[in-house]
Amino acid sequence: MGIEDYRGDIGMCCRCSACKHIPLQRVKGIEHSYACPSIARYNFHAYSGGGRLLIAREMLNSGFQYTDRLLDIVYNCQMCGACDISCKYAMDMEVLEPIYEFRIKCVEDGYTHPALDKVINSLRKQGTMVPAAKSKRGDWAAGLDLKDVTKEKVDVLYHVGCLTSYDKNMQKLAKATAKILQKAGVNFGIAGDAETCCGGRAYQMGYKEDFLNQAKKNMDMFKEAGIKTVVTSCADGYHAFKVLYDKYNLKGALEVLHITEYIDKLVKEGKLKLNKKVNMNVTYHDPCYLGRLSEPWIHWEGKRIPGYKFVFDPPKQYRRGTNGVYAPPRDVLASIPGVKLTEMDRIKEYAWCSGAGGGVNESNPEFARWTARQRLEEAESTGAQAIVTACPWGEKNFSEAIKESGSKLRVYDIVEVVEKAI
Amino acid sequence: MALSRDAYKEFEGVVGMENISDDPVIQYAYRAPKITIILPSSTEEVQAVVRLCNKHKIPFKAQSTGWSFTPPNYDLLFLDLRRMNHIIEINEKNMYAVVEPYVISAELQAELFKRGLNCNIKGSGSTCTALALSGHGHMGITTSTGDRNDLATEWVTDEGEIVRLGTLGSSDEWFCGDGPGPSLRGILRSGGIITKQATKIYHWPGPTRFALEGASPRYTLPKVPPNMMVRYFSFPSIEKLVEAELKIGESEISYELMGFCPSMVSSNITTSNEEDFATLDRFTKDVQGPGFMVIIAGNFPEDFEYRRKVLEQIIKETGGKSLKVVEDPAVQSTLLFQCTRISASIRETFRAGGAFASILVQGQRYDMHVRWLEEAAEMKREMIRKGLVIADDGQQFGWAEEQGHLGHTEIFCRYNPYDAESLKAVKEWSEKVSQRGIDGCFAMPSSSVGMLPADVVGPRVSNYHLWFGEIKKAFDPNGIGENTGFSYAGKDTAGAHTPIYDRHSEEASAKH
Repeated sequence: MGIEDYRGDIGMCCRCSACKHIPLQRVKGIEHSYACPSIARYNFHAYSGGGRLLIAREMLNSGFQYTDRLLDIVYNCQMCGACDISCKYAMDMEVLEPIYEFRIKCVEDGYTHPALDKVINSLRKQGTMVPAAKSKRGDWAAGLDLKDVTKEKVDVLYHVGCLTSYDKNMQKLAKATAKILQKAGVNFGIAGDAETCCGGRAYQMGYKEDFLNQAKKNMDMFKEAGIKTVVTSCADGYHAFKVLYDKYNLKGALEVLHITEYIDKLVKEGKLKLNKKVNMNVTYHDPCYLGRLSEPWIHWEGKRIPGYKFVFDPPKQYRRGTNGVYAPPRDVLASIPGVKLTEMDRIKEYAWCSGAGGGVNESNPEFARWTARQRLEEAESTGAQAIVTACPWGEKNFSEAIKESGSKLRVYDIVEVVEKAI
Repeated sequence: MALSRDAYKEFEGVVGMENISDDPVIQYAYRAPKITIILPSSTEEVQAVVRLCNKHKIPFKAQSTGWSFTPPNYDLLFLDLRRMNHIIEINEKNMYAVVEPYVISAELQAELFKRGLNCNIKGSGSTCTALALSGHGHMGITTSTGDRNDLATEWVTDEGEIVRLGTLGSSDEWFCGDGPGPSLRGILRSGGIITKQATKIYHWPGPTRFALEGASPRYTLPKVPPNMMVRYFSFPSIEKLVEAELKIGESEISYELMGFCPSMVSSNITTSNEEDFATLDRFTKDVQGPGFMVIIAGNFPEDFEYRRKVLEQIIKETGGKSLKVVEDPAVQSTLLFQCTRISASIRETFRAGGAFASILVQGQRYDMHVRWLEEAAEMKREMIRKGLVIADDGQQFGWAEEQGHLGHTEIFCRYNPYDAESLKAVKEWSEKVSQRGIDGCFAMPSSSVGMLPADVVGPRVSNYHLWFGEIKKAFDPNGIGENTGFSYAGKDTAGAHTPIYDRHSEEASAKH
């Protein structure tokens, strides 16, 4: 697979600019109608989904010429997929996949971003996307008496993820998750120091080989430990295990659940009681990789039927963001007494990105924070006291943007809210 | 672009270095290898840019939302107006809204719905600019058409003068395009850059927001809103269809009368090409001839009932046949939100084959235009038989405007733009139909492929192009403003664009 395989899709771009806005049916006014942070921030058409396809088309035809401006365009994209979903409201074509492949090609050809190289070096040396991590991956669990899946059989592996494991400010999420699972009586364990990065964020950055290495390491460990079900509280990890591992035929029969899905299941089965009142007006942010991009991968191989129609044999099914994880987090919040959820204008498949994805957090923190501020302003407009998310990377970026802007909004991961209710 | 560094610096001084670029990669995205792209954010910046263009004799052209458009491929400064994205005013009392060029119709309409109001939306869809000038739309029977909606206008001429047209010329009011103050609406197409414009707005009897459920691409509306109804009727002949359209216009009962062919109905309600073609096959069997979709929207139950009964009577008198599938509340609902918010035009045009070529005309829809494009439909069916264009029903379509006093008629072919044979056939068809339009004194056509040059069309219409050329020269003595094709000032540059679809043969994905 490479960008050449998407020539047909790239050629279908009609420059309608649907990729710049949320699906038109969901436009509620002059505010919050934009979908793509990159074109919203940088304005030249080149920074939109369609613009990226037109650049790709030119380079497929005339050869790839790497310039500073090209790399600026390539790396100033959170790979959030909003363009893809808006386009596919009307069109039958891939948008995000060729954008992924373009970035992968840049990396393969040696045109990387130094800030991302630093992160990937950390991944190669320490198995984490948090550079210069001084502690060990499992240190956060000291004293919690959690099972080690490399030594004991469990029903569920809780994959903690890089940021939650290593960032002292985020370890609260791991502890909250463990407490919730313990409270529900789940037979779970962690891999502790044997856990390694899922590889998902490396893939977003374009380092496909590093992603594949991580995927193989994880699947080997899962196999050795007899893991059949993985639960993670990281949206990027969830997407990697569920979608990317499947895309590259590495997932096998592994069951992958996001913590929001799992808590929702436990609550609905009566195994977890959320009894304590949590008086809080909140709004919920759909992380891109838990929401629109979390649909299962659709394996398809076929050919365009010769002629004038853009149709295939066998018919191609598109991932259009229809079946992302939207209901479970909302159902969980609804099951907590006292929590009042007010939705933002852009939600579910057309949610605005937190800004933290695609390596932008590392390569252009100013743009990451700008993107987060747009979302925080939208959250504030609901009257909510707090924005709740379900991804540690998003929470961290929101927190930093709040610190910079002086906003009074609070930010929580959903497990923190659930923890308050048990 | 051959812009000297000194000149570039001057432009940069106006908009800031972040907002100007002649980098080849930026140009690739605009499909124009010689242009410098600049992103002004205000009228004053537009004026300063245009004045600099005059100073350095640099040609320029501006774009609002740029639907399916690429800039010319000669050296020029290209003003992408996407930073000018504000609604300046919604005046409910005087029924107008003032917008900048990059406000899209979906945004303006959503704001208007909240106030029980609506605006005209171009048929190309609500992702396009909400500026009034130019553009015919599905709701034209109620909301008229683009160039009948523009009111006061702020306009930067080709020389860089800010001219305020209509009431704006003598006050700070936007309610009239013709005065008191200068009225130059007739020549707005000859050049310059519109930086703000007031557009008429209309009463909207529907909900303040469609309470959609589900996720993209299949949004649903749980039930048809009160006092609203959608139907599709086909007729035994063009004459009967026209009679029904006129009666509906006379009785003023319809909010929207869109002369969809069945293929456009199926495109709107389906979410993939395969589903679209299968649905069209079913529709084609259920229609008796040409048809239209009609939306009834009452202000209260008795009003709705009156309109519904009048419609029923008209359809009975004209032999119309309802397409049963559209009576299904779920289908009605979908058509209702798609066809009032105009969100599925891309499905109608680009999805099937990648491109479409259209011949359209506005004015007197009936008799002349419909007959002319019925001939075009026959020619199109021949292309369908040869497998050169998408096999839809082959029909012309259109709609009444201002209760039938005006109308829009159009026909398009959807095709694979990378298939040389298809492209050639479509171009020839387009030229032939256009020529027939002027030879048969049917209409002055406008077409997207194979457009007849101004010096072929002009002599048939009182040499309008020469007159426009004179006006153009008066406003643009340096000859650097856009030559739109409506005017003629020595050369016709209308065709000098790189098509959005390049000429390389594009192979579709072998596998994903």
